[in-house]
Amino acid sequence: MKLQTNHLTKQFGAKTAVDDLSLTLTTGVYGLLGANGAGKTTLMRLLCGLQTPSSGEITLNGQRIAALGENYRSLLGYLPQHFAYYPDFSALDFLLYLAALKGLRETTARKRARELLKAVGLSEQTNHKIKTFSGGMKQRLGIAQALLGAPRILILDEPTAGLDPKERVRFRNLISAFSKDRIVILSTHIVSDVEFIAEEILMMKAGQIVQAGNPQEITAEIDGNVWEFVVPTARAEEYAAAFNTSNLRNTGSNATVLRVIADRPPVQNAVRVRPNLEDLYLFYFKGGTDR
Amino acid sequence: MRRLIQFEMRKLFSRRLAQASLALLLLLSLLLGVSTWRNMYAFDGKSREGTGAAAVEIDQAIAENYAGILTDEKVQQILSEFAPDPTLDLHGMNAAYLYQNALQSSVALRFSDMNGGWNGVGVSDVFGDEEIRVGYVYGWLSTSQNLAKLFLVLSLVLVILLAPVFGGEYGGVDNLILTSRYGRTKCAAAKLLAAMLSALLVTALLATANLALALVLYGADGLDCSILLAPVEFVEGYIPFNLTCGAMLAYQVLLAFTGAVSVAGLTLALSALCQSPLTALAASAALYLFPVLLPVPETSWVFRFVSLLPVYHAQFRSLMSVEQMANGWLHAVWAVPVSLALACAGALLARRAFAKHQVC
Repeated sequence: MKLQTNHLTKQFGAKTAVDDLSLTLTTGVYGLLGANGAGKTTLMRLLCGLQTPSSGEITLNGQRIAALGENYRSLLGYLPQHFAYYPDFSALDFLLYLAALKGLRETTARKRARELLKAVGLSEQTNHKIKTFSGGMKQRLGIAQALLGAPRILILDEPTAGLDPKERVRFRNLISAFSKDRIVILSTHIVSDVEFIAEEILMMKAGQIVQAGNPQEITAEIDGNVWEFVVPTARAEEYAAAFNTSNLRNTGSNATVLRVIADRPPVQNAVRVRPNLEDLYLFYFKGGTDR
Repeated sequence: MRRLIQFEMRKLFSRRLAQASLALLLLLSLLLGVSTWRNMYAFDGKSREGTGAAAVEIDQAIAENYAGILTDEKVQQILSEFAPDPTLDLHGMNAAYLYQNALQSSVALRFSDMNGGWNGVGVSDVFGDEEIRVGYVYGWLSTSQNLAKLFLVLSLVLVILLAPVFGGEYGGVDNLILTSRYGRTKCAAAKLLAAMLSALLVTALLATANLALALVLYGADGLDCSILLAPVEFVEGYIPFNLTCGAMLAYQVLLAFTGAVSVAGLTLALSALCQSPLTALAASAALYLFPVLLPVPETSWVFRFVSLLPVYHAQFRSLMSVEQMANGWLHAVWAVPVSLALACAGALLARRAFAKHQVC
């Protein structure tokens, strides 16, 4: 299975959200990293067929997804960043409704819906109305609906938003178990969400993929550029503001360890350390937002 | 598809506003039916008078005495039986408008002079060659009047019920629907079918409830009698054709269905185009009611077309009063193809707008 974008561009007036993007995705888990406004959500909507490209095309195994229509959508599972529910539906009814839209037979749908509710930790809320759910529970229900029908292409936009740490681990395990022989794309700006499960990281900036590869490969790009050094706690803020700082760690003895990204040693006693994805993210998205 | 339609109908009827509107409609219907019945008055011309059930009983007994085809003899008998007391000072009031009971009122209005005597006009002078069957029509005519009000309210209830069909999905569920296998095809079709089915069901429920209530209150008498020999309040602007009460009610209910289908088509299209249930609701209600504001007199040829718009299906008297076609059919039958055309156009527009819209 090969999902490709060929010179894909999406413009909203003068703003280019996705810029001449050519990408090939085969089976595996892809972590789409980028700051707010980098174009991640637009790219995902384009991949889902929710928006039409301004130019370029998206193909699955060589065929345009627009032409594949139902045949493409039957392979698709999607969790949008923002979505709504029917407040008077129970969790089970909501999944059964979407299962009907996905063309699942009723008995299969009922069985699969219960399995998924259990997998996302909502088995006790199966018949509770969605209007009684917390934000995290709604998000878990969203994850469950995306997995309905065992989609071959799973697109998850900020799937861990609103989840507590325990649920995030549960989610990671669920996706890892699910991802075999499938294309899974998950976008986030929370690096740790993808660090453990993504086989390939796609760093997106200004509508383009600026870096792609497995976590080890792409962090190698800044190998030698990540430093740690100790400063007095009283001056930690001053140092943090002066450098591209990825972390501050108070050691408790009036000393703070700073982790910074810089081409050369920021201070004399700085020690070079092994970069991680968060460092790479900061390297590309210093300042928090892309535009 | 059946499951999708069931889900869509459940969505429609699970909304609080929809439930409240339907409950209010049924309550209004009950109030109108019962209050009309309770306010009926009749005097038998001798000693007995009453309201409510007693009035209906008196009117039915009088109608039974004169049952059959209206003749000049029967007119004379009725005028004589219910002649005003000659010693009574009417203070200048026209005796033709004095109300004692339904049949007396119907006859006096057409055949009485100012003092309650015969005005010299014969049955054929008033009704031509038409055979006028006499009977108790007051109850059914009152029911028809109430239905006209209720069907107008029904149209607005349908707008409330159907405005969220597509508009309600744009709040974020559209993401999920449009990426599902049948989201752009069967889902839209299921929504349209569920909406049409719901509109027809609610209309059927309302019509059945009111006709059943009328049957309980007034019985089946009079359904085969002419609407032309109606009491005073049904004369001005009423349907000028010799229909039986049953035929008139059948037309009225048919027009309620055509109206419901037309309103459904209009609302569905706006629901998909406006992308907001509230905007769709306001726009649909405004468009629906707009034709009554048009300065088109009922005598104008333009009114033949204006009267086919959905609001006149509910206000059926204007549509039913338009001149008959050359083959003798009522002009109102045009409401059927017009409503089907409106429903199809609305449905097609809605389906296209929903399936093609870009999620932003």
